[in-house]
Amino acid sequence: MFVLKPLSGVPIYRQIVDQVTRLIAGGQLAAGTELPSVRELALQHSVNPMTISKAYALLEANGLLERQRGKPMRVAARRRNQAALAERLQQVEHKIEELVHAARQLEISKKDLTGLLDRKWEDGDD
Amino acid sequence: MTEPMVSIDNVGKRFGAKAALTDVSARVEAGDVIGILGKNGAGKTTLFEVMLGLSPPSAGSVTIFGEDCLSLSNSVKSRIGFVPQQDELLGMVTGAQQLAITAAFHRSWDGPLIERLLADWAVPTKQRIQTMSVGERQKLSVLTALGHHPDLLVLDEPVASLDPIARRQFLAQLFDASEGQKRAVLFSSHIVSDIERAATKIWIVKDGRLYWQGDTDALKESVVRLHVRSSKPLPQNLAIANALTLQVQGGYATAAVAQWGPAARDDIASRLHADVEVEPLGLEEIFIELHK
Repeated sequence: MFVLKPLSGVPIYRQIVDQVTRLIAGGQLAAGTELPSVRELALQHSVNPMTISKAYALLEANGLLERQRGKPMRVAARRRNQAALAERLQQVEHKIEELVHAARQLEISKKDLTGLLDRKWEDGDD
Repeated sequence: MTEPMVSIDNVGKRFGAKAALTDVSARVEAGDVIGILGKNGAGKTTLFEVMLGLSPPSAGSVTIFGEDCLSLSNSVKSRIGFVPQQDELLGMVTGAQQLAITAAFHRSWDGPLIERLLADWAVPTKQRIQTMSVGERQKLSVLTALGHHPDLLVLDEPVASLDPIARRQFLAQLFDASEGQKRAVLFSSHIVSDIERAATKIWIVKDGRLYWQGDTDALKESVVRLHVRSSKPLPQNLAIANALTLQVQGGYATAAVAQWGPAARDDIASRLHADVEVEPLGLEEIFIELHK
């Protein structure tokens, strides 16, 4: 369900929080969907269960997941497109930074880059 | 609950003129899985030995479960499991005999657990220990420290000779051993990826000092590598706060930085009129940067 890279510089709990947040914001994880148990994920990825718990607790605090008695965590029921725009923008900010950086290195103008972005955006609407 | 399991206070250890440990202070709390990193000879093994009262400190003191480590009662000793770097297995007996001898020293011994792990970890039971491979001995040595469900499990390089599959099995067992926030595990390893997977806290031992201690996540979030790019040449003596290393080549500079925070990025970017790219670092990279 998740792509966890323990050796990456991004802490493991952060990787889980980011991915779940993105999947929920993007609608791939619908309200009510049950997440794998802490133990299951820990064994599958060979990471400390406490790290998974930490991520789930943070997601719960953010209102994205809810705890059920004796059952796995599930995606909280919320309004459609629940996350505030600012929150969702934050999810892509890092990627945009990388993109701008690469474009500058390649001496691509802002106009050319946004032009390409516009075209790609339209393609995605089909 | 707030009482630490282990309290290490200003511990020093000298071997003649050589200082092996200098002014080490740390706590082990219930629920901790602490990964200990350090170069060869940094003092990790000495730290374990002094901590467990196997070697008296030259300065300072260690308290384990409320008792001085040099005069531990049997009841406290029975709550500790230790796997030394050089195993202390008997050569002439079989694996099964060794475990029976170890079990006899403990009032409670989880026979079924050890039976299961012997099978899962493929440890030979009927073979004399002296004819076993290094990896088999290492697994057996770990088993001798697990059967009594110690509250404090200390392992000095427990997986150095294990293959990746055996290491994963070991980690799973380690998680079980630390479950429920009641117990604690300390282990040293050069296999940084295992520490990254398992440890909630990290101690870095450098030249006999506890150079860094804290949450694994905090360490990863606080040490990063910066790539600074400017259209103009950057000064050789570039001022970057908390820089561990710095290299400047024309308009490009790279620096490993500790105590990183997002505010620092804007500061550098505006001060130098430069692009600042932040590269998060894995533990291995951090370890190397901290030793430059």
